[in-house]
Amino acid sequence: MKTYHDIAGDGGSDVIGQVVAKKSQIAESLAEVRHLVAVGSGKGGVGKSTLTMQLAEAFRGDGARVAILDADLNGPSQARMAGLRGAPIVPGAKGLVPPKTASGIGVVSMGALFPESQAVDFDSVSSGDSYVWRATREFSAFGDLLAGVGWGPLDYLLIDLPPGAERTFQYAEFLGAAAAFVLVTIPSDVSRGVVSRAVAAMRRTPNRILGYVENMSGYYCADCNEVRPLFTGEAGVDLGLPRLGAVPFDPELAAACDRGAPFSDESRPAVQAVRTVAAEITKLLEVRG
Amino acid sequence: MKFLCVLCDQAMKLVEMAPPDRGALSIVYECPECAHRIAMLTNPLETQVVSSLGVQIGPGQGDISKCPFSGMVQEMTGGVAAGDAPAKPAVVWTEAALQRLQRIPDFVRPMARTGIEKYAQDQGLSEIDERVLDHAKDHFGM
Repeated sequence: MKTYHDIAGDGGSDVIGQVVAKKSQIAESLAEVRHLVAVGSGKGGVGKSTLTMQLAEAFRGDGARVAILDADLNGPSQARMAGLRGAPIVPGAKGLVPPKTASGIGVVSMGALFPESQAVDFDSVSSGDSYVWRATREFSAFGDLLAGVGWGPLDYLLIDLPPGAERTFQYAEFLGAAAAFVLVTIPSDVSRGVVSRAVAAMRRTPNRILGYVENMSGYYCADCNEVRPLFTGEAGVDLGLPRLGAVPFDPELAAACDRGAPFSDESRPAVQAVRTVAAEITKLLEVRG
Repeated sequence: MKFLCVLCDQAMKLVEMAPPDRGALSIVYECPECAHRIAMLTNPLETQVVSSLGVQIGPGQGDISKCPFSGMVQEMTGGVAAGDAPAKPAVVWTEAALQRLQRIPDFVRPMARTGIEKYAQDQGLSEIDERVLDHAKDHFGM
């Protein structure tokens, strides 16, 4: 009697063929993207999205062509930070035209499509068991965004990942080896411990981890014009990765993110620190193409 | 998933799919040799798991949408589901413009359609072609 592998094709829907076709569409859509950089952490609330936007501004400030894809479908924040909530949706020759910030950064985020008062609600024909299929659905929608946007020629496509150590690993598998990763932590062992798990999970992938950024590394007091400590104590967890830089918390930057306003005041230590991180990332990416 | 006619040792072929019923699918397979037919009946969870891959099930999908957010999209667009064309379009889309619309993700399509049609009407246009889409892109500073 024949076995599964003796029979070509599938039961008639060609599910595998459709999945492979989607992967080809994604590859085609990203063909002109020079560097695909995913910004993740494992830990939530460490400032991944803010850092992603600030990195994009730093790259853009150097004249690079940059876009951001907000992969956090459930808690998207890039549209708000970019000031692009409710941005018009225009079909271009090669897919959706990414709306752009005033400085020219393309931003694709679910937050631009649906109001913040609305929960991201995936359709379901079966109720009460979303834990079974939801992750698959999310990756399918993420793939639709990668494939259905006309990214065009870009120097950097930054992907703002949702939190979760295992999630970070799953995105690495989905994006493939071409995606380089930057991990974000804050200066606490609670955070470093979780990020360390993400690093351990990522070791199972061929993806390159460029290093980590220590975010909220002190806070900037504009009155004293100095960076003061925010977290105390020595690091007890070694991530075993190069530190790309340390970025202090700046209340003005946080307020600008809330307003969707750009924040590129070169005199602020946070902006200077992000520029250092961006330069380090560029250097690392250029070393190995 | 594949189906084998054990008597003929032949792969069975999908011949028919009934419209979805409360999330359940009925898909009929036939042996190309002896013409014996069987039906695969999925429960809603099984339907959901496969459709979560964003794939089309069977030769036609019926109302099992590939759009993962059709409920939200309908809420946003006042009842226009993903992929739906309005019953009485105020403006006409050319074939080439429609092809562009088809290239964007399912779940943004109705919102794109609504937005572009509003733009066209505001400009006093009755037809949307690729040039109008390019103008819209420039108009919105994209």
